[in-house]
Amino acid sequence: MTATLAPVDTDDLTRPRTGHRRVPVVFTVIAVAGVASVAVALPWLVNAYLVSLASTALVMAVLAMSAQLPAGLTGQPPLGQAAYLTVGAYTAASLATLTSLGPIQLAAAAAAGAIAAAITGLLAVRARGTTFLMITFAVGELLHAAANAWAPGGSDGTHTPAVVPLPGLPPMVLDGWAYLYVLVCTLLIAAAVAVLVRTRFALLLRGIASHEPRMRASGHHTDRLLLAAYTIAGGIAGAAGALTITVTRYISPADAAMGISALALAAALIGAGSMTGACTGAVLLVAARDWAGGFLGGHGPTLLGLCFLLVAYLPRHRMTGLASLLTGRRR
Amino acid sequence: MGLTGYAIIALNGVAYGLLLFTVAAGLTLIFGVAGVFSMAHGTLYLAGAYTAWLLVDGGWIGFGLALAVGAVVGTVGGTALAAVVQPLAGRPLDQVLATLGIAYIAGDQFSAVFGAEPRSVDPPGALAGSITVAGHAYPIYRLSFIALAAVVAGVLFWLVERSRAGAVVRAVVADPQMAAATGIRTGTVRTAVLAGGGGLAVVGGVLGAPVIGPAPGVDTTILVYSLIICVVGGLGSIRGALLTALGVGQTLTLGVALAPAAASFVLAAMMLAALAVRQRDEFAHLRGPA
Repeated sequence: MTATLAPVDTDDLTRPRTGHRRVPVVFTVIAVAGVASVAVALPWLVNAYLVSLASTALVMAVLAMSAQLPAGLTGQPPLGQAAYLTVGAYTAASLATLTSLGPIQLAAAAAAGAIAAAITGLLAVRARGTTFLMITFAVGELLHAAANAWAPGGSDGTHTPAVVPLPGLPPMVLDGWAYLYVLVCTLLIAAAVAVLVRTRFALLLRGIASHEPRMRASGHHTDRLLLAAYTIAGGIAGAAGALTITVTRYISPADAAMGISALALAAALIGAGSMTGACTGAVLLVAARDWAGGFLGGHGPTLLGLCFLLVAYLPRHRMTGLASLLTGRRR
Repeated sequence: MGLTGYAIIALNGVAYGLLLFTVAAGLTLIFGVAGVFSMAHGTLYLAGAYTAWLLVDGGWIGFGLALAVGAVVGTVGGTALAAVVQPLAGRPLDQVLATLGIAYIAGDQFSAVFGAEPRSVDPPGALAGSITVAGHAYPIYRLSFIALAAVVAGVLFWLVERSRAGAVVRAVVADPQMAAATGIRTGTVRTAVLAGGGGLAVVGGVLGAPVIGPAPGVDTTILVYSLIICVVGGLGSIRGALLTALGVGQTLTLGVALAPAAASFVLAAMMLAALAVRQRDEFAHLRGPA
């Protein structure tokens, strides 16, 4: 039923993995070690601007994973994930008056994002496909409006103190330390997501994507499963919100704007069902919008629009090929 | 505030609602007929509003010129959108991304050309003043707008619900394959609806510019309200769109005046209620082939 929305998922499910050209394990290990060492060494390699850009890219990668959970696994594309990011960010910002401890802010933000997603998800999970997308979009925009009306600082936003990574350590006022903290948090979240996508729960979600009537016939409450997936996705987005204020020490309703949600969804689509691909997509899109856009006289949105058009017109399976080339395997 | 004060606000709500209807009616038809959730629909309104800002000079000639240019821009824009989404038929998500990309590029270019600050558009001199309604001054333009939009709504309602062309359009909404089997050229109907819907949105922008003036971000606002109207009113339903648009108009004016905090949530609650009442399979044909 959702074949048109998640063509690659069904492809992934049916294609035998043994038929795929194998990349020698040693190359994969070298590639991963190379990327990891560059990622860790980044603050010592590039200037402060690029470090903060890399932090933004990591936050967007987390948000892209949050969008990929419903989009890639259940075949239901969300277009309002920025709203839960903002809920998480404002929760962390409010908590910052009590404690500057990052992990506590992160946990509270994830919980708040999950609660917000669970409540608003009741609206969304009755719908499927494009209607699901429309409703998540509208809910996201309503939360955006609510943030403008009631959030601390109003539409001007609010500043937050620097986050302390662990008890006893100094606050992270330097971009480099904030980047490394965000990198560690992103890797932990990614590890949790990697475990999640290998559970029976994820298999049930993939089942909904490929043939929902059969899942219902076999006694599964598909709406509840979708709501659970959407809630977890909201929690991940909330965590991304806490990471946002770690990086920028500032949050405003503008962070709930459609552009952020759209970027997360486009990254998920570039990833074509894969979490690694979604993260790669997020990094590429942030680079296009903020870095390459800077060379074009600040026309980042135009460049992002062109990227969206490119994603829409490129055959999706080619991008899966790209993703598998980059990661050395199909996920 | 006295009772008449609220009545004046309610009248504003009617103007606002009819303006939203003019724009959303196009989107509901586009979605219902072509199955395209056009994220660029608000952009078309903004194009109309900027057209009005450029051409409306306080006289009738400028106003008429703006309307004519708006109609052309909208029809051409709608047809272009149809051409853009044509290769993506059966891939609704890619259609969303493509139209979103266009909305982004257009929004950025509007800001580059017209600047980031909001622009105000004055109606033609003859409609610029205000008259006294129940002891309150009320802009003549809004009253004329209400009258004009009511005519547009009436014509649209007749066209879709009563005319032969409307029957064809409704047939394509209800069952595209059966409609095609009876000899209806569904592709032509789709393009025509996208062109017509685009024309309505841009003309709505020209007429609505003195009410909701052109500014960056207006495209998203209009898109969100149109979307809520589509979801709550039922896709492809002109009657539903009209009733919902009037409701949304009142929520955004009277609701904001009476209970500012609750207004946003009334809109969410309207959506929830509409979705709860309706069977999910109403949208089944929009999900693409099984």
